[in-house]
Amino acid sequence: MNENKKEAADQARRGGSARGKSWPAPKLNITARLGLVKFIPDEKSHLSVIDPEVCKTRCPQKFCTHTCPAQVYRWEDEEKLISIAFEGCLECGTCRSGGCPWENIEMSYPRGGYGVQYRLG
Amino acid sequence: MNPATRETTNRTTPSHFAAIIVGGGPAGLAAAITIAEAGLKVAVIERGDWPGSKNMMGGQIYSHPTSKIVPDFWKDAPLERQIVRRDMWMTTADSTLKASYETTDFKLEPYNSFSVFRSRFDKWLAEQARAKGAYIINETLVEDLLWESGKVIGVRTGRDQGDLEGDVVIIAEGVNRFLTEKAGLGEKIRPAAVALAVKEVLALPKEKIEDRFNLEDETGAALEIVGDITGGLPGTGFIYTNRDTISIGVGVILKGLVDRVGEAYELLERFKRQPQIKRLIDGAGPREYAAHLIPEGGYRDMPQLYGDGVLVTGDAAGMVNAVFTEGANLALLSGKMAGETVVHADEQGSFNADTLSYYGRRLEKSLIIKDLKQFQNAAPFLSSHAHMFNLYPEVASAAMKEFLTVDTLSKADKMHLIMKLFRSQVPTRRLVRDMYDAWRAIL
Repeated sequence: MNENKKEAADQARRGGSARGKSWPAPKLNITARLGLVKFIPDEKSHLSVIDPEVCKTRCPQKFCTHTCPAQVYRWEDEEKLISIAFEGCLECGTCRSGGCPWENIEMSYPRGGYGVQYRLG
Repeated sequence: MNPATRETTNRTTPSHFAAIIVGGGPAGLAAAITIAEAGLKVAVIERGDWPGSKNMMGGQIYSHPTSKIVPDFWKDAPLERQIVRRDMWMTTADSTLKASYETTDFKLEPYNSFSVFRSRFDKWLAEQARAKGAYIINETLVEDLLWESGKVIGVRTGRDQGDLEGDVVIIAEGVNRFLTEKAGLGEKIRPAAVALAVKEVLALPKEKIEDRFNLEDETGAALEIVGDITGGLPGTGFIYTNRDTISIGVGVILKGLVDRVGEAYELLERFKRQPQIKRLIDGAGPREYAAHLIPEGGYRDMPQLYGDGVLVTGDAAGMVNAVFTEGANLALLSGKMAGETVVHADEQGSFNADTLSYYGRRLEKSLIIKDLKQFQNAAPFLSSHAHMFNLYPEVASAAMKEFLTVDTLSKADKMHLIMKLFRSQVPTRRLVRDMYDAWRAIL
């Protein structure tokens, strides 16, 4: 058996996996997935960015746009701000628990009777 | 909304309760049942349309702790399948090494565990609490605690004239500790001490589930999967079989995800594409998507569990054994003990921290604190040894492959190759260190 070849293949495979620096797959649009979830949206957002300057100047990664499992946060390049689609929030709390390492997101729960409503959970 | 729920919401509620419970999950509802059974007035305040509508887990509930709250619950509760098999899979991008345990005992009463949907199960559990006399107040968010001379005396809700008073407030709010923080009992959870879990429920005909997972009618399997699927982040994948659906998800330590600037739903997609996993879910259509945090910090990240007029239970109290993926059972048991503490305090006529320390003593003597203490080094260990999540599966897979591939090499040569591969991937110093650290973390 050709050990070098095996190692090279192994290496190549690993390079293509998450061991490498870059995240491989293109960013998934999860709109379809969120379409399966029932939401009762309130008029007022229960999420807000505390200081938009922090997003603009200190956070090139825009962490919240990656860590939020519902893609609630989106970087609007023209307006240079984070937009918040609070209506599709799964209320998990990631954004208040380190999902924004700058602790720049204020999250509360929606009012009683509003927000996500799991039928299965 | 179901009419029964509306009726309870509108029923005239007393102005003073023995206990006000924040949150209708397993911890809060177990407490409510215990207190109502003792004949005391108790209210559960739930922010969702019904208890369970905001809740999510893998998941399975264990029979023993559940039957401590509702005996013979399996005769009536909305359950999916009796879990008779537990699988541990170590995966790489294209291979799987499996350990599996199954026993026919687990399909006999009192069973061991059942796959469930929390939105249905918690709703049912709330109905049991209501039948015992507990008030279930839905669609109501508790915004703050009410205080009087340093003692918690009730809650402020988002409703007009929504203040409710009680001898004890039981915080069963779940992993996001809004009130626990406000009460000064704990701090915001650390990203290294919390896992983000995302899950999909996929529909698949009953027969296909039973064929693919080698199951009989009513019986189910629980799979825990480590390896390449989490992309080298500390975390696991899980699969639970339900009646005609499969719950599939991934949980990873949030700090790892943030450091990687990664996406949890991408991990789930990656997990679903792994060939041996893909075969299990092939053709299964999505029914629901969900995300939730799991407090995995263990003993070291627990808040204070009681104060003057207040108790903390379940996920809010950090009662999760991440090593054994247990949480709802600890929530049920701690909720029951919180309920018993309210009954005890009512008998004493005192609700200060000193009297409520009864709760702390009960917990100390129970498996909850014993287990959490035993595994207190596990969470830090797993975070600092993230390499173990794909290094060992990769090496084990390569060794198995070599061993099972029949070619022109002698077995002795193969063993030699495997040892060489092993040493090149895992230097002895690292192996010894990992094993020692693992041993210290778990034993």
